[in-house]
Amino acid sequence: MFSDINWTVFFMQLFFGLALGSIFVLLASGLSIIYGLLDVVNFAHGTFAMLGAYAVFVAVSLSGSFAVGIASAVVIVALLGVAIELFLLKPLYGKDPLLPLLLTFGLSIAVPDLVKIVFGLTGKPVDYPAALGGATIVGPVILSNYRLFIIVFTLAILISLWLFLKKSDLGMIIRAATRDSLMVQILGTNTSGIWTIGFAIGTGLAALAGAIAVPMLAATPDMGVEMTMVAFVVTVVGGLGSLGGAIVGGLLIGVIVAFTSLIAGEYSSVAMYFCMAVILLIRPRGLFGESGRE
Amino acid sequence: MKRKTGGKVSRRDFLKGAAVGGAALAGGGIPFIARMAHAKAGVIKYGTMHPLTGTYSALGTDQRNATQLAVEEWNAKGGVLGNKIEWVHRDDQLNGAVALRRVKELVEEEKCDFIGGTLSGAISLAINEFANKNKIPYVAYCQSDMVLGTDQGKYGFAFMVIPYSAALATSKYAFENLGKKWFSLTADYRWGHSLLEGWMWQSQQMGGQFLGNVYHPLGATDYSTYLTKIMAANPEVLVMNNLGGDQTAAIKQMSELGLTKKMKIVCTKTAMTTLKECGAAYDENIMGGMTFYWGLKDKYPGAKKFMDTYMKKFGQPIEQDGESGYVATNALFMAMEKAKTVTDKEKIVAAMEGLKYTLTKGPETVRACDHQREQSYLLVRGRGKNAKGWDLADIVAEIPGNSIIMSCEDNAKKLPFSQIKLP
Repeated sequence: MFSDINWTVFFMQLFFGLALGSIFVLLASGLSIIYGLLDVVNFAHGTFAMLGAYAVFVAVSLSGSFAVGIASAVVIVALLGVAIELFLLKPLYGKDPLLPLLLTFGLSIAVPDLVKIVFGLTGKPVDYPAALGGATIVGPVILSNYRLFIIVFTLAILISLWLFLKKSDLGMIIRAATRDSLMVQILGTNTSGIWTIGFAIGTGLAALAGAIAVPMLAATPDMGVEMTMVAFVVTVVGGLGSLGGAIVGGLLIGVIVAFTSLIAGEYSSVAMYFCMAVILLIRPRGLFGESGRE
Repeated sequence: MKRKTGGKVSRRDFLKGAAVGGAALAGGGIPFIARMAHAKAGVIKYGTMHPLTGTYSALGTDQRNATQLAVEEWNAKGGVLGNKIEWVHRDDQLNGAVALRRVKELVEEEKCDFIGGTLSGAISLAINEFANKNKIPYVAYCQSDMVLGTDQGKYGFAFMVIPYSAALATSKYAFENLGKKWFSLTADYRWGHSLLEGWMWQSQQMGGQFLGNVYHPLGATDYSTYLTKIMAANPEVLVMNNLGGDQTAAIKQMSELGLTKKMKIVCTKTAMTTLKECGAAYDENIMGGMTFYWGLKDKYPGAKKFMDTYMKKFGQPIEQDGESGYVATNALFMAMEKAKTVTDKEKIVAAMEGLKYTLTKGPETVRACDHQREQSYLLVRGRGKNAKGWDLADIVAEIPGNSIIMSCEDNAKKLPFSQIKLP
């Protein structure tokens, strides 16, 4: 079972795991921001990723450019996030905390059906961008260029997000509101707008995950279910509401899935749930979760 | 402290919500509200089940459309022996428990005398058991092991090939034309295992060299992680024993990693939706098996008539799983005509045994010994960037039914595949 593993295999598997984990990181950081800031358990998170995938399909069909596809996916889905927050979520604030969960759950069922009506039941293909085809060979290790792109791109997004949250005024308000939104409100900031922006960033990140994953899969109406599950598992492992947790959790789960595939392929999906169960047993708040949120 | 929501969502609430939501997403749906109906004289009641929601909804919709077309065609020419056909259908959500509830509704509330449909082999086994217990003729539309040995029963008929036949057909072609060294990627459930058994058996017969297999869970999204094993084995043929989104993702990622340039990929069963979803990635190095492809309309007048009517009505060509529904529905009504009764189920079942017809392909028969439709199996090759609209593949071979169907004796004993030891 383990005899197949040598250093070449190890590094290739680690690379594939990190690429897969990068997509998980994008998914989970979006979910984490929405939960941290709005206290909303966004059950439609994967649905936004799915919409991102379809947006890429439409934009690439029209423009022929994958870069335009990714940019449009983020903008379109983030705007949709704004509309949903303003018109559907906002009226539920201050009521039973499970109401937003039910709303997003409803969206996760209704939106894929709408997509089926608009785009049909058969999924839509997006080809790999030609510039990112092929592989880079480092010694005996073969690295797919597209997966390299995924890792570098995710890193760039995370650095930008970090700079935005740490250095910009708006970022600081968002961080403050995540800790204590009442205090931020008392200090005279309009937190209502902050929540809208937070929801837009979260859904935009989900769209980004769907957008970079779509050439590897295909845009299908039901692809969001799996992505929601992954986002939740990573968020629970990393710790609710923690961005650092989403990053470490995402990469960890990606690498675990990759190495399980190598050793016992049939258990690669179960592995992440097993990892979640273990984390919940030994550290219920997740790797980086706030201790108050028990 | 309080925030904008009435209370904080605690970690426990989050997990509870996730669990409830997950369960609902995985197997839920809106409860069906029963409607009472009564059997009417002069009416044949036919009830079918298809997965109209979920991952395989495209294929389920094909099945439903095909059944609708067949029923309308029969009703347009005056029904069966002067009796109108009343057809009802249900969404089984590709879920065994749901399917069993639906079939009970169809029989007990809708008073259906004949049932058909389903897309999953496992579900068809459960429906077949129910049908035999209640003495209701059942025509299965999907690949199923229900014609084998003890599973068979008197009232069930299968209109798709059994998994072994699909594996026999594709492996025979692969070993003769593509190479003998093979490696497989198999979905880890009963159907995938059956296909692998077929390949391994054929490999023993034809001197193939089995280099290994990896199992993947149903619904895996990352296949790059299986690449290292495949590359180390370096086969001439990579066999895909999976379907739907699994196959699409696997093919797209194998093509991304340049594997299709190094080896041929053979999908034991493929589908038009997969070809469509893969886009350019499904190139000429990839082949797949099908019981029906709409390109057959250039070969058979029956296929042309069927496809022309279907395209006119539904706007796109039909998949194999729908075609088998069309044939199954027709065969059921043909058997009634042959038996000269629409009520005597024993006579109808007897007439179905050995029924001969020519509908969508060449002449076919429903074997009396095991209630299986004897039919050919196609091998198609992808067109990659040259695919246009629904012109997605070229037919490279049509393997005759009699060369891939198991003998009645072997089928009754589940031989020879039951002797194969899976890795």
